[in-house]
Amino acid sequence: MVQTLRVEWLKVRSYRTFWILLGMTILSIPGLTYMLFDLMKNSFPRGKGTAILGSPFALPDAWQTVSWNSTLLFILPAILIITLTTNEFTYKTHRQNIIDGWSRGQFIGVKLFEILLLTVLCTLVVFATTLIFGAVVNKLPAGVTMWQGCRFLFFYFVQLISYSTIAFLMALLIRRAGLSIAAFLIYMLAENIVVGIFRNLYKLNGVDYLPEEVTDRLIPQPYLRKVLQTPADATRWEHHLPVYLGVAALYLIIYCVIAGKRFTTSDL
Amino acid sequence: MKGGPEGRRSGKMKILSIQAVTKFYGRIRALHNVTFDVPAGSVFGVLGPNGSGKTTLLGIVMDVLKASSGQYSWFGEPPSEKQRRQIGTLLETPNFYHYLSGEENLRIAAAIKGRGKEDIPRVLEAVKLSERKGSRFSTYSLGMKQRLALASCLLGDPRVLVFDEPTNGLDPVGIAETRELIRQLAREGKTILLASHLLDEVEKVCTHVAILQKGQLLMAGDVNEVLLNEDFVELGAGPAALEPLKRLLESLPGVRQLKMQDEHVQVYFADGVMDPSDLNRYCFEQGIALKHLQLRKRSLESKFMEITK
Repeated sequence: MVQTLRVEWLKVRSYRTFWILLGMTILSIPGLTYMLFDLMKNSFPRGKGTAILGSPFALPDAWQTVSWNSTLLFILPAILIITLTTNEFTYKTHRQNIIDGWSRGQFIGVKLFEILLLTVLCTLVVFATTLIFGAVVNKLPAGVTMWQGCRFLFFYFVQLISYSTIAFLMALLIRRAGLSIAAFLIYMLAENIVVGIFRNLYKLNGVDYLPEEVTDRLIPQPYLRKVLQTPADATRWEHHLPVYLGVAALYLIIYCVIAGKRFTTSDL
Repeated sequence: MKGGPEGRRSGKMKILSIQAVTKFYGRIRALHNVTFDVPAGSVFGVLGPNGSGKTTLLGIVMDVLKASSGQYSWFGEPPSEKQRRQIGTLLETPNFYHYLSGEENLRIAAAIKGRGKEDIPRVLEAVKLSERKGSRFSTYSLGMKQRLALASCLLGDPRVLVFDEPTNGLDPVGIAETRELIRQLAREGKTILLASHLLDEVEKVCTHVAILQKGQLLMAGDVNEVLLNEDFVELGAGPAALEPLKRLLESLPGVRQLKMQDEHVQVYFADGVMDPSDLNRYCFEQGIALKHLQLRKRSLESKFMEITK
């Protein structure tokens, strides 16, 4: 794996588009959170915002807030993954890598490993951003540790790896960058619409377990919780968490199996 | 010689053995039951018109295409990525990262093959691309791209090379240099599998051929065996003596076929070729003085045209 990763590094180390997209992905995480923080701070008279919205940027709630904010940016790592994957098809280097001596499994394996690395990197950025905001915004209330709520970091990890693998799968199946990005966006949008219609109009809870929705549910929207969420909602969410995680893991396995099967058995 | 058992009778070690390979693209049959062996040290030409299945066949043995049925083995073992690392392959078009330089692309190929970058200057020099090694691949001409692909094949000095239309996009000088490079590699004892529709190219460098048409293997074997009995003698005695010469040759024992070519008669024998001096003497004794007498080899092109008719 070290050898195959070295080859992947050789592919991207002087690829400007890669560094631009990676930079945007990393910088957008603290950037968006700061923007929302600034918006909240300046949108309400002094002290009133906290009364309405709570303290989403203060620890321990900051874990959930920064993680949720960062999920709004999933399109950026998705574009990065789609670009790197479809480049191989555009230049036919996926064929050349096999001809030169990689197995098909090695090729797909290292691509999936790259997704894992990118997800870990983004999670570390979310971690650092949360700690910085937590340190700047407030002191911890008595009896609360700063790590309380850090499980949202893990939920962010699960959600991002799930979205990124869907993007990878689309790139692998469609093979063209523009079409793959469009398909990814349309799917994100379409699933949200389907979930909205079936859950709200027809009270069909099964839609909660659709591929993206099930990971979306891992991190509830952190703003206006006092207004929008009842204690019963929180209990129900807590109760369903293992199911959401289990289904998300199942989907992830399915994506990997489809990607592996597709690449190892079809003509390249 | 038909491909298959005959090829396997050769005592030489088989570098590549293809057994009953068939390939369908949907309902289109691109290859049908193709069987032949590539002996060690041979320059093996895979011939065929465009669309005959040459690239499909090479794609299958390099694992970028999956055969619908049949099997193949490299070095007498089931195919694996480890074997492909020992083979230098140029398949169809040069496939490189457009945003990287020629040298950076070769580093990737070398890393995949499990070799260091020390060999890169040598292979760049061999294809005369050293001066442009730092330029982006996207700025290369078609000929330079092809040269880079050849350089990539030479990385690590592999003992087996697979070339699919290696002179595509090259100018006449590049074609001659590539042909010389292939000859040089053959002299070094490398086994070369060369697919081409340029018969002249194959005839000049190959020791063995396989001829494909519409996915069917028509012939395979040693070039001399494939062209066996295809030498002929061309005779001429002036326009007035053409008919008597023809009648005389028709009565000659062992003659398989006569063909008229301008003012000459081409004589094909059933078994080998009659010594031209004996033929000259025979004609003279029968009262015909020859003005033209030449032993000629039939070109691969004419053989190819005949069997792919």
